[in-house]
Amino acid sequence: MSEKTNEPILRVEHLCMYFGKGEGLKKAVDDVSFDIQKGEVFGLVGESGCGKTTTGRTMIRLYDATSGNVYFKGKRIVAGTLSYKNEIKELKDKIAGKAKNGDQVIKLSESEIQEANKRIAELRQMIKDAKHDHKDARKNGNVTQIQMIYQDPVASLDPRMTVKEIIAEGLRIQGVKDKEYIDQKVYEMLRTVGLVEEHATRYPHEFSGGQRQRIGIARSIIMNPEVIIADEPISALDVSIRAQVINLLNELRETMGLTILFIAHDLSVVKYFSDRIGVMYFGNMVEMATSDELFAHPLHPYTRSLLSAIPLPDPESEKGRVRIRYNPLTDHEYSTETPEFREIVPGHFVRCTSKEFEKYKAEYDK
Amino acid sequence: MPEKKLEVKDLKISFRTTNGKVQAVRDISFDLYKGETLAIVGESGSGKSVTSRAIMGILAGNAIKDGGKILYDGKDLMKISEEEFQQVRGDKIAMIFQDPLSSLNPIMRIGQQLTEAMLLKNKAQRKESKANMKAMFAALDARMKEVGITDAQHDLAKFKDFGLEHSKLQTEYTEAFDNASEALALAENSVLRIDSKALDATLHTDVTQFVHAASRAKNYFVVRDRASELDEAVAAVKAAGTPKDEAGYAPVKAALEKAIDVLKEAVAFEKPNTFTLAYYLKNVKHEIPKMPVAEMNAMTHKETEQGFMDAFQAKAEKAVRYSSEETDKARRAAIELLTSKLPILEKEQPDKTEVDAAVKEMKAAVIKCLDPLEVTKDSLTHTFDTSIDYAVDLYFGGFKRNEKEEKRFARSTAKHDKIIARGKTPDWEVIPMSLVNLEAARVDMADTVKEQIAHFRHQLAANEKADFAARTLEIVDYLKEQTENSAYKLTSHVARERAIKLMEGVGIDNPRRRFRQYPFEFSGGMRQRIVIAIALTADPDILICDEPTTALDVTIQAQILELINNLKKERNLSVIFITHDLGVVANMADRIAVMYAGKIVEYGTATEVFYEPAHPYTWALLASVPDLDTKEKLESIPGTPPNMIYPPKGDAFADRNANALEIDFEMQPPMFQITDTHYAATWLLHPNAPKLEMPKVITERLERIKARRERQKLENEARNDDTQNAEKED
Repeated sequence: MSEKTNEPILRVEHLCMYFGKGEGLKKAVDDVSFDIQKGEVFGLVGESGCGKTTTGRTMIRLYDATSGNVYFKGKRIVAGTLSYKNEIKELKDKIAGKAKNGDQVIKLSESEIQEANKRIAELRQMIKDAKHDHKDARKNGNVTQIQMIYQDPVASLDPRMTVKEIIAEGLRIQGVKDKEYIDQKVYEMLRTVGLVEEHATRYPHEFSGGQRQRIGIARSIIMNPEVIIADEPISALDVSIRAQVINLLNELRETMGLTILFIAHDLSVVKYFSDRIGVMYFGNMVEMATSDELFAHPLHPYTRSLLSAIPLPDPESEKGRVRIRYNPLTDHEYSTETPEFREIVPGHFVRCTSKEFEKYKAEYDK
Repeated sequence: MPEKKLEVKDLKISFRTTNGKVQAVRDISFDLYKGETLAIVGESGSGKSVTSRAIMGILAGNAIKDGGKILYDGKDLMKISEEEFQQVRGDKIAMIFQDPLSSLNPIMRIGQQLTEAMLLKNKAQRKESKANMKAMFAALDARMKEVGITDAQHDLAKFKDFGLEHSKLQTEYTEAFDNASEALALAENSVLRIDSKALDATLHTDVTQFVHAASRAKNYFVVRDRASELDEAVAAVKAAGTPKDEAGYAPVKAALEKAIDVLKEAVAFEKPNTFTLAYYLKNVKHEIPKMPVAEMNAMTHKETEQGFMDAFQAKAEKAVRYSSEETDKARRAAIELLTSKLPILEKEQPDKTEVDAAVKEMKAAVIKCLDPLEVTKDSLTHTFDTSIDYAVDLYFGGFKRNEKEEKRFARSTAKHDKIIARGKTPDWEVIPMSLVNLEAARVDMADTVKEQIAHFRHQLAANEKADFAARTLEIVDYLKEQTENSAYKLTSHVARERAIKLMEGVGIDNPRRRFRQYPFEFSGGMRQRIVIAIALTADPDILICDEPTTALDVTIQAQILELINNLKKERNLSVIFITHDLGVVANMADRIAVMYAGKIVEYGTATEVFYEPAHPYTWALLASVPDLDTKEKLESIPGTPPNMIYPPKGDAFADRNANALEIDFEMQPPMFQITDTHYAATWLLHPNAPKLEMPKVITERLERIKARRERQKLENEARNDDTQNAEKED
């Protein structure tokens, strides 16, 4: 991954997404960066509440990012502005003499005020740029190039719309008026996902769970997207149907050249399906590597505990399984140094301090 | 062979719907042994949840119990009344549901919901144990008198007396021990926090909780003679209050470290044998002997054996032997009677009065065959009267019911036709007839009796080589347990501590704060964990888990499965685990039943089903999940499960099976026995069937597993050799 020359299809840079304010501030996504190359499947795993879904949603601006950027084919589609706005407010307070350090009011010298004003102007320009980029992305249709498949096939389909209306909604919103074209396109999509034309006039409740998920997939591919964000697409499905949906996604990936961000917590499926995997823990990306590499040499203690928890269809190894526990308080010494995302071997990144970095490297070499 | 906890026999359940009768469960049988986990695997709609609901007695209103038995603790759960069921449900058989939202009370705090179950259960258990104890003592007394032991009353009073003392000692010890281990954990955590400079609110609550726990940790056997040291440490922590900075926490840390030292030793002490100690205190000397615990245990044990137990056991054994002989006599008489009366029930057209008279006599004879000294209840004999009543009523009441049903159907059809004749389409359909199969009902009457005779014969044969000493021991253990439970009073404080521990066990952070929150403050996964914790607090006999971890992620899932496994081991719990995740099944199950379209298609131990699967459906299930080494395309199962209004004639899976044989479409395969424990219903096992290979995905996986195992073996051997060589060199 180190000697890549071409631009990745998706680049996420220092993405942060905070919810709440003050005491209740929750850092759902905290400084996450990764690239996705064209045609690859990038798996995002972690326990519930670790921010993997939020990452996926922030990437298509379902949430307004706090800070950080997301680039799609080199063009910025998401730019977090909230941190700029906050900084402006802070600086203004300082200038107005409202800011306090403990009990003392901060007083700025003349030159400092000037500097602050300059910074405010800079920040305003950045916000303007971000807004411009957002508008641009919308105009150029870059947003429609990224589509999402949702976890719950029951809740994500409007019960009052027929399958045809659901699938064609994206086209209609984009201003396609030609009814024949829409019909053709819908039938084509239905066939692609393994349904038949007769299904188009039915309502979602007439379908089984697996078929509904197929409708969801058909809706997401009708815009001919380049990237699909699949947010736990198989968690709500029955065993026998899971394999069908995974096989379908695999086929689409080959025939349409899709790039997929696959968010899931079923690790054996992620391993089977993804080329590279990122492990998230409490809003941070703690480890990232190709899937074979990650499973062969997990380095971060959280990844290890996660891998040790995978249930496998093999009773003997299951009965003797020892689960590794992860306790961030005892496993890390972060009081002296804040951890950073470092590359242990090419393509294998771990969030660690410099001391841990040496340790992991030694472990890897062994 | 372990004791059977639950027997499901020929269970048939269907649902009445407007389109017709949906046959959800078709003739399934399985046993659940004490302390084992039985996993039921299958797709949704295979009838696995319906089976579990039948066991819980919570079938939907339109369910029809077509037949079969669910035997538990001397009762047939298919036939008992709702009032009786309330004694069993939740208390004896608890269930963890898939959907956590509907199982929590929205206006009660989580903590209250957790402890409520524990406190109520404890109260009920005290009452029940008292009754059990009384009944067993009375039965023993009666039998002892019959064999000529007249001083039984005295012995039993003595047993009861120190049994209660034992319970008291045990309670005190456990409470102190629990508090000590909790205080230790809190102190260690606090020191860790102080070291890592995390001086926040959590640290403060931890320290406060430590003070509480440590001051309750003192008991003769727990902190022993170092109580004053612990007191000093606690006082020092208290005196420090809530310091603001690191320097302020220095004395706290020192005190905590001191406490850790004391508590570490305290929890490492050996556990006293409170039962024999209670005997000693009550009958030999009224103070605790001053000596090491191990020595004391040996001494009190000897005292108890010599002074009481040996003699008591000898007497009890006599009674047990006598009781067993008496019951055997009654059984022989009953067999004779049942066999002589059987022809009355087997007649082509049985006569109601004749049958009623015969049944009355039979019931009287069978009821005599219950051994009053049995610890494990003989379910079949207990339920004989309800079973036979049900069968007789079904047959004789069936005539009337069928007549009524036919009339209703005729009336309804006429009405329907009339509307159609008028040229309108009615917005309702005629509900199809559901008639009692009279022929089957008649055979069923005789079968109930035949089954009972066979059961008695089996018992007689088993009693010929019975080990009465072991049985006596079983009774003594039972009495010990019942006396202990009848006096054990759970205080709300202990319940709270236990609930918090359980919350920690199911992976809820900061349980002390969470304890006071309402259900709406929890996320879905958290709620599911609370529901699991509540089901576990009731301390049930049988735990039914209906896909409990499907909504949770792997780490929490692993944690909860571990918890259930530990509880199972600790309390000898029997678990029915319903899931479609084969990885989870591999982890949990001792035995597996694979269900498809309302039938069990394969049934065997976990290793057999995973390593030597025999049914094509099991193959398909195994082939559709990837493991960590799977690279090739997954084999999905084509099509959907069959419509159970018209269940297929042959093998239900044939339609979706590419390699189905011709006979699969025509005839239902019987259960073929592969080994003693492994059964499968597929024609492939018939001697004349063609040889079919398992899917490649599975064979390859099994080979990988085999290869890995051999590699590990070699590595282990190499390691052993190394250590041996090293030892030699030493």
